[in-house]
Amino acid sequence: MTSAAIGASLPGEQRRWFRLAEWQLALPLSLAFAGLFLAPLLLLVATSFFDDDKITQPGFASWLKFFGDPFSYKVILDTLLLGLKTVCATVVIGYPLALVYLDLPPRLQKVLLFIIVLPMLLSVVVRTFAWIVVLGREGVVNQTLQWLGVISEPLKLLQTELGLVISLTQIEMPLMLLPLISVMSRLDPNLRDASAALGASRWRTLFTVIVPLSMPGLIAGCLLVFASATTAFISQTVIGGVRLIYLPLLIWQQSLVVYHWPLAAVASLSLVVSVLSVIAALSWLGRRSSRHLHA
Amino acid sequence: MTVHRRTLLAGTVAFGGASFLPAIAQAKGQVVATTYPGTWEDAYRTIVLPMLKKKDNIDLELAPLFAMDQIGKARASRGAPPFDVFVLDPGPRIVGLEAGLFEKFDAKKLGNLAKLPAGFADDVGVHVSAQVVGIAYNPKKLPAPKGWGDLLKDPWVSRLGITGFQTTFGTSSLIELSKLFGGSLTNVDPALVELKKVLPKIAAVGLPAAMPGLFQQGQCDVMYTNTQTVATLKGKGVDVEFVKPESGAITFFTTMHIAKGTGELANAYKYLDMVISKDAQEALTKPPYNFLPVNKDVPLAADMPMKSLDEMATYVQHDWSKINPQRAAWIEKFNKEMAK
Repeated sequence: MTSAAIGASLPGEQRRWFRLAEWQLALPLSLAFAGLFLAPLLLLVATSFFDDDKITQPGFASWLKFFGDPFSYKVILDTLLLGLKTVCATVVIGYPLALVYLDLPPRLQKVLLFIIVLPMLLSVVVRTFAWIVVLGREGVVNQTLQWLGVISEPLKLLQTELGLVISLTQIEMPLMLLPLISVMSRLDPNLRDASAALGASRWRTLFTVIVPLSMPGLIAGCLLVFASATTAFISQTVIGGVRLIYLPLLIWQQSLVVYHWPLAAVASLSLVVSVLSVIAALSWLGRRSSRHLHA
Repeated sequence: MTVHRRTLLAGTVAFGGASFLPAIAQAKGQVVATTYPGTWEDAYRTIVLPMLKKKDNIDLELAPLFAMDQIGKARASRGAPPFDVFVLDPGPRIVGLEAGLFEKFDAKKLGNLAKLPAGFADDVGVHVSAQVVGIAYNPKKLPAPKGWGDLLKDPWVSRLGITGFQTTFGTSSLIELSKLFGGSLTNVDPALVELKKVLPKIAAVGLPAAMPGLFQQGQCDVMYTNTQTVATLKGKGVDVEFVKPESGAITFFTTMHIAKGTGELANAYKYLDMVISKDAQEALTKPPYNFLPVNKDVPLAADMPMKSLDEMATYVQHDWSKINPQRAAWIEKFNKEMAK
């Protein structure tokens, strides 16, 4: 029963109190949201409209400098592409894993869920440095391939986009799997049986029944992975190196090395807006698929 | 039992307030000082922290931050510094001075002032160590390079790890490389042009903080760095040696400053006095830390690239007041030239 339904079932006096209490209960979170998110965001917007690093001269120079440089567009595009590539890789690997999870007995489901959540129990710094050991010139992958005689010279995996996407795929995988599994676990198993009984092949059942019904979880996973991969400063710089330039590196350089906070604010807002645009597009897709499903 | 809202609120406030009490009780003998991550942090935690506790009963809290990060955090805190003492290289020191981040320094409050060479303490702060920047290489993988120019030649270039202008050692090294190809203190373009020619061969281009890890993992076997990083890597059993380039190693002094608006002024002076004391400096000079001391009573370690502090005059030193105005543009240029 929802809280609104509980409130409606109460007598008049109590119902009024309940509504009041509901409003009051939401107040701390609303205040925290306003103070800790909205206020800094407005401050960021205000800072971006200054021309100098001392933040004394208001103007549009920082915006003009950032968007007057073609390099900025390349960095924005590379950042978004990195997010999309990571999303694709996590979907390709994560979705079959979620299907396997569905067919497992409850005891093994718990084991798999623990394995999925395990990376989240480690600091992202530790996970990132572990990938240096795995992908490095003298790392596990290269040593194994050399030992097997597949390669004679070590492959360059670290400081490449391929290496970065591989590591981000592992690092972000729980963010894809948890919402996906949560939605897929609630699917009625009878639907699959009904589809099979009506003569649909396993593939047809997958694409016409399971995938559409799991779309809300898939979209939620994509949103989380995309937002996290595009802003993963540590992984991007430590595994990718500084030849692969993404927006978080530019923001760090402008805010903590050069101290040009207006430019850092412009770069930050560009990151926020570009990531939110893709997220909005993904949400729209999710709503569209949901409407299509219910129709 | 009925618990009224007011009683609950009062109880919560009292409970929350009580949680601050231990902090107030401890605050009397405390100082928060920044330190560079890595060797500096290890050394200060192992040596200076227990010494300060024993002598003055002051709890030293170390905040590991690179110099530029310290300036950024102090500027962001606007008058309420998150730490009491800065440790800085010459470039960030000038930025801190211009931003008015330091308390006026009264060197007379240092009991060990007489043990420092003349000019090592002024009305801004105090010199606490010297640093030497040169080339680190893996002797099991490569022959010793002779100078900066060798870094761009085979066999070194294909094992080279470079970093940009974010740090003092990175900036200084690129300036010296630039000088070999016609550049100067304020013109690093020749270095970037030469680096770009060999860019596909270069083993790693990383953030300064990532370089020791990349060297340790064999991702690169030669890089420009300071003697402290070499000491740390050696301490971890990594095959690494330091080379003084034939055109001269770069040297600069590391200074400490008291943060403006600190509530721990007296403790900050006691901490700084401890840092420059004979006991602390002598211990910091020994392996695996190998600091270059500033206390006149402390001899330099045998394996240092110099025999005395006076010799530093013959080393390469850079005027950071001329470098600082250029750095933002250099960082931007480095990004564009090195980007894939």
